[in-house]
Amino acid sequence: MSTGLDNRAAGTRAVAWIRRVQIASVVTWSLLAAVVIVNALVQPTFFTLYSITSTFATFVPLVFAAVAQAIVVIGGGLDLSIGTIVALSSVVALKVMNGSDALIGLGFLAALATGALCGLVNGILVAVVRLQPLIVTFATASVFGGVTLVVLPSPGGAVPPAMSQGFRLAFAGVPVPVWCVLAAAAIWLALSRTRFLRHVYAVGGDALAAFASLVPVVRIRALSYVVAGALAGLAAMGVLGNTGSGDPFIGADIALDSIAAVVLGGIALRGGRGGAIGAIAGAIILALVTNVLFFLNVPTTFRELASGLVIIAALALSVLTTRKAVVR
Amino acid sequence: MRFRTGAALAAISVALLAGCSSTAPTGGGGGGGETEGAGGGSEGPFTIGVSNGFVGSEYRTQMIEDIQTVFDEYKENGTLDELVLENADTDVNGQIQQVRNLINRGVDAIIINPNSGTALDAVFQEALGQGIRIYAIDQAVETEEVVNVGIDQPLWAETSAQWLAEQVGEGGRIVVVNGIEGHPANEARWNAAKAVFDEAGVEVLAVANGDWDQATGQQVMSDLLATYTDIQGVWTQDGMAQGVLRAVEAANRTGDIIVTGEARNGYMRMWSELKEGGFESIGVVNPPGTGATALHFAVSQLEGRELDESKTENGDIVLDLEDPITNDNFDEVWAEVQDRPDSYVLDSVLTRDEVNAYFVG
Repeated sequence: MSTGLDNRAAGTRAVAWIRRVQIASVVTWSLLAAVVIVNALVQPTFFTLYSITSTFATFVPLVFAAVAQAIVVIGGGLDLSIGTIVALSSVVALKVMNGSDALIGLGFLAALATGALCGLVNGILVAVVRLQPLIVTFATASVFGGVTLVVLPSPGGAVPPAMSQGFRLAFAGVPVPVWCVLAAAAIWLALSRTRFLRHVYAVGGDALAAFASLVPVVRIRALSYVVAGALAGLAAMGVLGNTGSGDPFIGADIALDSIAAVVLGGIALRGGRGGAIGAIAGAIILALVTNVLFFLNVPTTFRELASGLVIIAALALSVLTTRKAVVR
Repeated sequence: MRFRTGAALAAISVALLAGCSSTAPTGGGGGGGETEGAGGGSEGPFTIGVSNGFVGSEYRTQMIEDIQTVFDEYKENGTLDELVLENADTDVNGQIQQVRNLINRGVDAIIINPNSGTALDAVFQEALGQGIRIYAIDQAVETEEVVNVGIDQPLWAETSAQWLAEQVGEGGRIVVVNGIEGHPANEARWNAAKAVFDEAGVEVLAVANGDWDQATGQQVMSDLLATYTDIQGVWTQDGMAQGVLRAVEAANRTGDIIVTGEARNGYMRMWSELKEGGFESIGVVNPPGTGATALHFAVSQLEGRELDESKTENGDIVLDLEDPITNDNFDEVWAEVQDRPDSYVLDSVLTRDEVNAYFVG
């Protein structure tokens, strides 16, 4: 193959890629706008400072988990263990901080390290041993959950007061949880400028081609799980800030919710396409849908059903429009 | 390049950390609290919120129905206007969202069956900061300002453990089928029961978890029966005792294995049939109606009445246990409830007058 041909092919691929991403984004952002408008209509208190703080505080963990999941999925993998990585990182950080304000920094490092270590386990099993990501992370989810129970057998312990109180304050007029979501977006934007993430796209898009272009496929795959794990560690700090206490059972919903957020955000599950900003929007959509159903007075018996249907509809809309773009 | 990735990550984490902690010294409670909820002693009608993080068990279903029944009475006379139910299977993070939804809805009091004794403290503070009263049922929480309304879980466990210890005697050999490992109610119960068995010299051969689920309880008990052939008794909790009994029955051991049961109709129906064959059991009532009882307390306090400190335990309401059901009084109790479906959990809700006794004046 000549270099010129290669370049042209790459160019065509890039154009197609941008088109798909944009169409997926339009759907994601329209959904987000729709759900925000509906929420504001049904909840008179939606724009009060308390409501904004509390709404954002609730979905901070999911937002970080969604960014983590996005990186793995873009790299062609899947991480079902994100939820228990969050749980394990949170209880380790809780133990490390031991309720002391002075140790909050150390707590962050502990959470990041725990998350990254869990990610490394996943990464080695998936990339080096070459096992199916779905099965591997399903199994490691139980392993991490089990370790969590060993570290913290029953709920308890107190988060440093500065952390749980700080999480509820406003900083420069903007609630801290909103800053956290912005930070998640900033982390993604910073990462997306790196060669690492370009390689993740390449591996997720076509691992063989990436390998042929001298991308260190094994290392990139493994590293994508490590970075995702570290981000799950940040999600864990969000959980701690939100709850103010430790709970080994926290985060059970996070793994599947993060996958739903990723798909809502227009990221193709077969990898190589999309961006985590969409996943963040997806996470917010998921959280607000539950909110809207509550304020619409949907009876509790039907709310889960309704929530599932709305999410399926949103997913279908987002996936079908992407598929159409691909066919074209 | 990879160094830059790391640096970017680190820098942003530090920025995040700095943002979170640098605002802290200004003190808690400054972020929210725009809308003041109705405090104590104002006039109604009031709105009540209910948060429940676990659905699908007969206990929780009946708990909600009891609350609804008492609410309807109050609605009729205009004391309450709305009951907002947050009732879904969720974890602590989800239950925090439930409570926040209730806060944003402007409820005056929240009745909660908490998923955790500690992890809801921060969101309770948010609610309390807006003048919302909170009542925790079924399981106690550690937040001081929250009024816990419920039975004494350790005493509940001790009652059946004591009875079983007497039946099997010193040196008796039993197995245990517990609820969910790490769950606060399970820990409180098992610690109390274990102390009783240690004291009485009863040998606990194995402890397994039945997840408060009949099918799981049955499976776990079958395994235990296969492993330990010479057991004389089983100590188990409500929600899975019928499953345990089914396993004992399937092994044809109801004549020589004593099972601590549950005060639920399905179990009692089996008990009534097996009783003739010499089967002995005990059922201690854990009433789902505590939620409805808590509603009476909420209404009284919203109307501005004060709890009589001498009748509370550090501000909490500990409800008396009813006499346990044993072979001695079985027929009497069974006659009252046998027409109800098997899913019925033996229940009691305090009346308005009984609740009044807890208040000053």
